[in-house]
Amino acid sequence: MASEITNNGNGEMSKEERKVYDRQIRLWGYDGQKKLREIKVLLIGMQGLGAEIAKNLILSGVNSITLKDHTEVSILDCCSQFLIPRDSQERNRAKASMSAAQKLNPNVKVIVDTTPIEQNVDSFVTSFDIVIATECSPTTYKRLSELCRKAKVKLFIADVYGLFGYFFQDVNFKHNLYGEVFLDNDKIYTDSLPAKIPRPYFLTSALLKFQSESNRKPNPDTCEEDVEELKSIVNPILDQLNIGNNIFDEYYGELFCELSPTTSIIGAMVSQTAIKNAMDKPIEKYNVFFYDHIEHEGQFHLL
Amino acid sequence: MAAAIAGVFQPEMQNLIKESKVLLVGAGGIGCEVLKNLVLTGFSELEIIDLDTIEVSNLNRQFLFNKESVGKAKSHVAKTSVLKFNPNVNITSHLGDIMDTKYGVAFFNKFKLVINALDNKKARSHVNRMCLSCDIPLIESGTMGYSGQVEFIKKGVSLCYECLPKSEPKSYPMCTIRNTPKEPIHCIVWAKFLFGQLFGESDEDVSVDQTVYDGTETKVSARQWAEIIEYDPKKLLEKIFYDDIKYLLSMESMYTGKKVKPVLLEPSFFETEVVEYRHVLDSEVLTLEQCKSMFLDCIVSIKQKLDICQNKSLVWDKDDDDFMNFVVSSSNIRSAIFNIPLKSHFDIKSLAGNIIPAIATANAIIAGQIVIHALRILSGKYERCQSVFLRELPNHKGQILVKDKFLQKPNPKCMVCSTDGEIVLSIDINNITVKQFEELILKKKLNMVAPDVLVDGRMIISSDEDDELDLYEKTLAEAGVNHGSRFSVDDYFQNYSIKIMLQHKEKAQEEDPDFEIFGNLEELNTAEKNNEAEPEENDEDCLIEKDESCVERVDDDLSTSDEQAHDMVTDKKQEDDSVIKEDMMDSDPEVIKVDQEISNEEILAMKRKADEASEDINEAKKSRVD
Repeated sequence: MASEITNNGNGEMSKEERKVYDRQIRLWGYDGQKKLREIKVLLIGMQGLGAEIAKNLILSGVNSITLKDHTEVSILDCCSQFLIPRDSQERNRAKASMSAAQKLNPNVKVIVDTTPIEQNVDSFVTSFDIVIATECSPTTYKRLSELCRKAKVKLFIADVYGLFGYFFQDVNFKHNLYGEVFLDNDKIYTDSLPAKIPRPYFLTSALLKFQSESNRKPNPDTCEEDVEELKSIVNPILDQLNIGNNIFDEYYGELFCELSPTTSIIGAMVSQTAIKNAMDKPIEKYNVFFYDHIEHEGQFHLL
Repeated sequence: MAAAIAGVFQPEMQNLIKESKVLLVGAGGIGCEVLKNLVLTGFSELEIIDLDTIEVSNLNRQFLFNKESVGKAKSHVAKTSVLKFNPNVNITSHLGDIMDTKYGVAFFNKFKLVINALDNKKARSHVNRMCLSCDIPLIESGTMGYSGQVEFIKKGVSLCYECLPKSEPKSYPMCTIRNTPKEPIHCIVWAKFLFGQLFGESDEDVSVDQTVYDGTETKVSARQWAEIIEYDPKKLLEKIFYDDIKYLLSMESMYTGKKVKPVLLEPSFFETEVVEYRHVLDSEVLTLEQCKSMFLDCIVSIKQKLDICQNKSLVWDKDDDDFMNFVVSSSNIRSAIFNIPLKSHFDIKSLAGNIIPAIATANAIIAGQIVIHALRILSGKYERCQSVFLRELPNHKGQILVKDKFLQKPNPKCMVCSTDGEIVLSIDINNITVKQFEELILKKKLNMVAPDVLVDGRMIISSDEDDELDLYEKTLAEAGVNHGSRFSVDDYFQNYSIKIMLQHKEKAQEEDPDFEIFGNLEELNTAEKNNEAEPEENDEDCLIEKDESCVERVDDDLSTSDEQAHDMVTDKKQEDDSVIKEDMMDSDPEVIKVDQEISNEEILAMKRKADEASEDINEAKKSRVD
């Protein structure tokens, strides 16, 4: 395999590369493709959403991508993790994804990393152009946001809950940090946020608070208790704002696991936004994106 | 497979996912992504059909394929690939054309839901009709570059694919192509015709027939002449780019009073040495001398291909390097003669091959929304299934995935999904045969497969060959058709029928269109009044459809849905605050109306250049070119 790997980013694009990338070069030009070939990406979390992001960025032809995950393959991966063959004997998620990921595009350096991000020193992230994190704890997200801001490394934080999903981005180092948007105390709503808060924000905040308290995402095994727990977090806030408690009734039934339709949407939104960054065309007016699976709408916000 | 795990979905939803049999039409860009999403969500009864094989240029997005699978059937490879991450799914893959009669009503009736991931209007129309006639919900989709859309179609509930008129392919006047090219595209279209004339079966003559002095002075076609001289590259070069031009110039009045006039190349051009051109990148423009060398070389290679197929005929294909070089070199040499700027290989390929840019991310977003639509449709929440549009950039509210405000109701006058659909056909009944009527109007224009036609109660066309009507060579008039005749046309295969009212209109001049179709008589009358009001400009009237015969088999290409989805993205009428309308506000509405079927590439090429040139232009401005 190794001999097949061309050194992406070094030297001119080969004729073969031009052929593979033809349909996208016709969209973003050779210059865009050249910029992509120089980008080094750190991707944390290789569940379904991670697999989607890895797929999109490897296909696009970035220079390298480091797949970082210290956790083991679980039964829930079969909801959306398509890079892990079901007969794989490998237990680590990143390792199990490696072979299928590399096959997507031999021009890209695919690197596996099984160290938990919590154990990495701060300077670790500075060797990357873009850091994308999924499936971490809210505490880790806050730390990443702060240290990427300090090191001026572009950051995306994304998660999918069932058919609902969101991402946070810090690409121009000006807007609120992750911890300033998603607070972990009871006061989810603050005056520093814009007057018109999008509804999915409350749902996201409740999910993050659930995660902080329970140390896990809502789970299909315990779906009924988990929904009750979520309601107990979100309803007082809705009451405080005079919003009816029933606005999320339709949402609760579809918040478990990372489900493929939404990992597909959020994964592609994050990847496309990251690609635009690599080409110096960031969507920088906003810092949060929600996909609302009941309304079928995807919207950016500045929070 | 999410639906295999208790608690992930509500129990009813879980069963619907496990039990519903779904047909996916197309295993290209959107198809691969949809198949992955369906399988992971837990759909376990799937059939997938595609007629295409895998090409290298698919690999930047069709992630179920890789280098080793190039040349193999998309549908089969897609199936094999998804089975690796979910072996517990029952997938039947078909290598075939969904328009084939073996996929009839009985085939469609097996499915609870059909998903279109196609790349051409003809197949889309066909599946639309099949689903209407079987009353199966259909999800229609498409992407183009960064944008895309998902539409839900159900008989009597929503707009059907054909409820709103689709734009026609861009056409160029034949006389412009032959005699007075003004833009690179004219020379490119010409070069493709020339290819057909020299190596294929085209009847479009763009090179002058030759007189052979064999004592009797017989006139032979360009292809016959080329065969006589055994495709001698140099002789071809001189004939096409010198003798033919000289002939054009010899025709008096051809260029009098016209701005366009060819200039003969120096005779020395045909004598000079061969120059190297292979090192030139495809993004750079070749010199005229390099074009000449490329032309000479590719004639030799194409002749070899002709020999291999025993001198039958070749069909131009953008993915064949020699065929592509033929169009690059000959269109550029012709451009030089007519003082038109030369173009790079890359740009010519976009135009000649009608290539729509395509990326993995847009396909993945559309495919995700398709499966969410599928879940809503299966649980009967049709009112939730408005069209959803993916925009290139967020609108002023930050929305990038935007839906229509309401599910749009069917068009009561739709000639496909409404029962009392009648259209008016204006045609010269003395100037068209029954056969031409069937081929050009019923099959090509109205997308039928096997029509039966009754005129005022009498059968003139039958899909059953045993009927032996023997009217094919007769004109419509001879077959008993009059001004005001009513045709009742049935396609039993599509289970589709339509009434056509005929209005005889004499074809006075050659440039008049062969036929016109209107929604009703008023439309026809309005059109005629308008025509009288604005006499047409001279040379823009002998219209041909932009070489549909050779544009990348536009009509019969059932593959990557991302390659030609633009007809959907651009045609759709919009509710007030959705995508296109906003875009229109910033831009000249005329530009939007211009058909996108073919000219899209030009717009995209322009857009790409504009993007590169001015990266600081504000976002709203950039998105308007969609």
